[in-house]
Amino acid sequence: MSDRRPFSRRDFVNMAVHALLSLGGVIGLGGLVRFFSYEPDPGPPDEYNLGAAVDYPPGSRTVRLDIPAVIYNRDGKLVAYSLTCTHLGCTVEEDKQGGFVCPCHQSRFDADGSVLAGPAQKSLPELRLEVQEDGALHLYAPGGGHR
Amino acid sequence: MVRYLELIAIVFLAVGGILLASTSATASPSLQDTAVAQATPTFAPARLDRPATVFPPSQADIGAQTYWGMCMDCHGDHGQGLTEEWLNSYKPELRDCWQSGCHGADYPENSFEILKGGVPALSGPGSLARFSNAYELQVFIQENMPFFPTGSLTPDEAWPLTAYVMRLNDRQLDTLNLDEVNGSVIPVHRDVSLPGKQLPGVLILSTVLLLAAVGLAARNKLLSGESVPKGQRANFFHHLHPVRIPARQSRFWYTLGAGGLAVFLSLVLLFTGLLEMYYYIPTPDQAAVSVAMITTLVPFGSLVRNLHFWSAQFLVIVMTIHLLRVTLTGAYAPPRRFNYLLGLGLLVLILLLDFTGYVLRWDEGIRWALVVGTNLLKTIPWVGEALYRFVIGGDIPGSAALTRFYAWHIFGLTLGAGILIVWHAFRVRRDGGIAVSPPEVRAGKDHITRFELVRREGLAMVIAGLVLVLFSLAVPAPIAPPISDASAMTGDSRAPWFFLWIQQLLKFGDPFLWGVLVPVLVVVVLGLLPYLLPNAKADELGRWFPPGNRIAQGLSVLMILAILLLTVLGAFQ
Repeated sequence: MSDRRPFSRRDFVNMAVHALLSLGGVIGLGGLVRFFSYEPDPGPPDEYNLGAAVDYPPGSRTVRLDIPAVIYNRDGKLVAYSLTCTHLGCTVEEDKQGGFVCPCHQSRFDADGSVLAGPAQKSLPELRLEVQEDGALHLYAPGGGHR
Repeated sequence: MVRYLELIAIVFLAVGGILLASTSATASPSLQDTAVAQATPTFAPARLDRPATVFPPSQADIGAQTYWGMCMDCHGDHGQGLTEEWLNSYKPELRDCWQSGCHGADYPENSFEILKGGVPALSGPGSLARFSNAYELQVFIQENMPFFPTGSLTPDEAWPLTAYVMRLNDRQLDTLNLDEVNGSVIPVHRDVSLPGKQLPGVLILSTVLLLAAVGLAARNKLLSGESVPKGQRANFFHHLHPVRIPARQSRFWYTLGAGGLAVFLSLVLLFTGLLEMYYYIPTPDQAAVSVAMITTLVPFGSLVRNLHFWSAQFLVIVMTIHLLRVTLTGAYAPPRRFNYLLGLGLLVLILLLDFTGYVLRWDEGIRWALVVGTNLLKTIPWVGEALYRFVIGGDIPGSAALTRFYAWHIFGLTLGAGILIVWHAFRVRRDGGIAVSPPEVRAGKDHITRFELVRREGLAMVIAGLVLVLFSLAVPAPIAPPISDASAMTGDSRAPWFFLWIQQLLKFGDPFLWGVLVPVLVVVVLGLLPYLLPNAKADELGRWFPPGNRIAQGLSVLMILAILLLTVLGAFQ
C-alpha cells in the first residue's frame, strides 16, 4: 500500500466500511463492558445487630467470627476490633497470650489489634459501635469488615 | 491512505466512546416521590384523602389507589400499621371500630376481629422481615390479604399492591413492572441497580451496521470489471476460502446461503452462550432465578438471551432449508454422500442442543416437556431404563439432571457440533467446492475471487446480524416463573416447537413406536436417500430438481411437509 495511487471512490468506500465495522465493534465492546458490570452478589452487610448491649458485661471479650470482630467491654466502655488480617485478609485466630495470630502468614497482633510481628504492617482497625434507642448494640463494618 | 484510515478509526473510536457514555448516563433511575405524610397525632382529614392520580400511572401508582381503598384503614397511610397515632387521625366517632360498624353490621358472623398482635407495619425497621423478594411478598399478599375476605385479590391487584409496598420501603423500581418472573430477583430489603434502556445503544449499533451493509453492497458496483482488487492483500478470512470460485457455484438462488447462515448463527450462539454462562447458575433453586436476573437486571442481558434463543430457533429452520436445498438439487450425489451424513448428524446434534438449552431455564414452562422427553427414553426396550438414568442421573429429574443437561449443553454437545461443523466445511472443500456448476458453464472461465466471496459473506453476515438484533429487541424469549411446587399441575404442557411434531405423533398410540421409532426412522430414511435411491446424474448437477433423484426429492419434501403439518396441528391445540 506504499505506492502512491490516486485515492479512488472504491478506496473511500473500503475505508468507510472498515471504519463502520470497527465502530460497530467498539459499540458492541461497550455493551459487553456494561453486560459484565452487573454484580449479582449483594456483599456482606455494613451494619450488624449484636443484640442487647447489656449482654456485653464489663470485662467481657466476645469473638464474632461471622463478622469477623472482637468486642470488649472495658469498664463499661465498649470497643470492637476487626479480626480481618491487614496483610492479605485472612481471619485471625485467638492465641494463648490473649492476642491474635493469622493462620495464613503468622502475623501476630495483641488484644488491641496492634502488630506484634509481621508480615502485617497495620494494626487491626477499630470498628464503630453504637447503642441504639432500644438498647441493641450495632456494629458498623464498612465492606463487612473484609476490607 | 493508511494514515487517513488510522485517523478516521481514531475519530470513530472517540465518537463511539462518547455515544456509549451518553447512553449509560441516561441509565440512572429517577426518584419516585413517596407520598409520606407527616405524622400528626390528631384528626387530620387530608391524610385520609385518596392519593392523587398520576398519568401515566406506574405500577406502584395503581397500587396506591388500591391500598387507599383496601389496606390503608389498618396498615396506615405510610405503612406504619395500626398505631395509636394512626387511629387518632380518624374522626373521633370512627375510632371505636365496633361501634361504627366498619367491620360489618352483623359482627361477628359476617365479619372479623383484628388480630391480638395488632396490625403489622409494612415499612420501617424490622418490617417485612420474612420476605426476601417481591415475588414472596406478592404471594403472601395474594393469599392472605385483605384480612377480610381473605384471598379476594386478583393478581392484577396484588402485583400493583406489591409495587406500592416496595415503594413504601423506599425501593426504587423506576418503570419496571413487577411480575411473577422478575419479582424473584427484586429484593425487598435492598436496592438493586436496574439496567438502563438498551434501545438507544442497540439502535445506534443497528444504524452503523446498516451503513456498513450499504457500503459493502456499494463496493460491488465499484468493483465491476476487476477480478482482483488492486492493492488488496488476502487476510485470514480470505485464506479460509479457495482462491477462485466458479461464479455459478456461489450464486444465491442456488445455495440460498443456508450453509453460511448456519455457520454465522452457530457463532452467534457460541458467543452469546458464553456470555450467559457468566450469570447462569445451574442449580434447581437458582436456575430460573438466574435466567430472570439475566433478563431483568443485567445490562443488555435480555438482548443477549433473546439473541441466543432466536439464533437457536432460526438455526433449526435454516438447517432444514439447507437440507431441503441439498436434496432438491441432488447435490448429495457421490462423492458428497458422506458429507450429507455429517450434515444430518449436525442437525440431530443441534436439535439436542436446542432441547438441552430449553431445559436449562428450569422454570414452569419446561417441566412437562422434560418429564415427557425423558420418560420417552424409558419406553425403549432393554436399554431404555439405563438410558433414562444416564440422561437424568437418578430416578426423577432433579439437580443431577440439571447438571448433566448443563454439561451436555455447554460442552459435550457443543464440542461434538463444533467438530462436525469443521469436518462438514472441510469436506465441502475436499469434495470440490460449494457445489457443482451446471454442465454448460462447467468448463467456463467465469470466476469470482475469494475477495468477492468474503465480501458477499460479510454482507450476508451484517444483514443477518441486523435482522437478528432487531428481532431479538422486539420479541422476547419465553420465560416462566421458577418451579415452585413440585406437585402442582401448572405450566405449559407443550413440547418446544421443534418437537411439537413428536408430541403430535404420540397421540397416535404406543409411545415407543410413535415417540421414538418414527422420529428415528425419519432420520434414518433421510440418511439413506443417497445410498438406496437413484442419485442425480453428473450432467444434471448444479440445477434445482434434477430428474435423476426425483424419488428422493419427493420423499424428503413429503416428510418435511408431514412434520410441518404435525407441528402446526400441535401448535394450535
